[in-house]
Amino acid sequence: MNAQVWALAVAGVVVLAAACLEIFRARHARAKTVGATAAPASDPYILYFTGEGCTVCHTHQEPALAKLGAVRIDKVDAIADRTLADRFNVYTLPTTVVMTPEGRALHVNYGYATAPKLERQLAEARGAGLQAATA
Amino acid sequence: MATQVVDHSALKVNQTGIIATVLVAVFGSEVVPALIWLIPVLAIVLLVGTFAPRFALFKQLYFQVLKPRGIVKPRPVPDRPEPHNFAQGLGGIFLGISSLLLFGPPLLAGDFRPGPGLVIGLALALIVAVLAFVNLAFGYCLGCQIYFQLGKRGLIRAS
Repeated sequence: MNAQVWALAVAGVVVLAAACLEIFRARHARAKTVGATAAPASDPYILYFTGEGCTVCHTHQEPALAKLGAVRIDKVDAIADRTLADRFNVYTLPTTVVMTPEGRALHVNYGYATAPKLERQLAEARGAGLQAATA
Repeated sequence: MATQVVDHSALKVNQTGIIATVLVAVFGSEVVPALIWLIPVLAIVLLVGTFAPRFALFKQLYFQVLKPRGIVKPRPVPDRPEPHNFAQGLGGIFLGISSLLLFGPPLLAGDFRPGPGLVIGLALALIVAVLAFVNLAFGYCLGCQIYFQLGKRGLIRAS
């Protein structure tokens, strides 16, 4: 069993290192992306980066977005519109970006984002929009 | 966008098959040493299944046995099969490397027992099983993300 235990330890270390790298990568990309701009709108909206081959987009993200109700969602094919995808550092699908009415990225979610999380972020974006309007 | 439909139950059966085979090979080989040969067999099964889906063992088990008998219910989802095939092929390649590490040097010397690359070979096989489990349990497919990255860089036609 000695070899099996060592193999398990090696695999564990590799998986742990990969998870840490992924967390660092997401934080780095998020820090670079928050504040990036797109077209302004009357209300907060969501930029939703997806692709034909993105399974989680179809099975999880789209039903979550549908629960948000009357929120504008701009669906972007991350491969067809590479310029926009690069501006928001899209390295994984799905990616959702919550935009303030002025067209500034407030929250960036790399990977699946739940409906309650998006609702919270949209509420913050509405607050940020009001602050900007009164300032 | 996605006009095709992929039966995700077939993918889940495939992932379950990969996890079960790797676990039996890695831990079962302690009791029955010959079971370690399941790793190269699985590598061949995955690689053959990637290029000729009708020979994909676990998917055929689902389509020919599990689905017709109602043991596993179908779950069609609008999706594309290419990223999943790519991920399966990648799993096959990694298991192939694992097999080479396990048996490459000893086979050259005419020995059928695993050689000095045993720990790294088994670890690589376990990583493939972990990734299959992550896909099965959480729907996160690393191979599909690599496929997307390659498509984004124009290295493969992903859209």
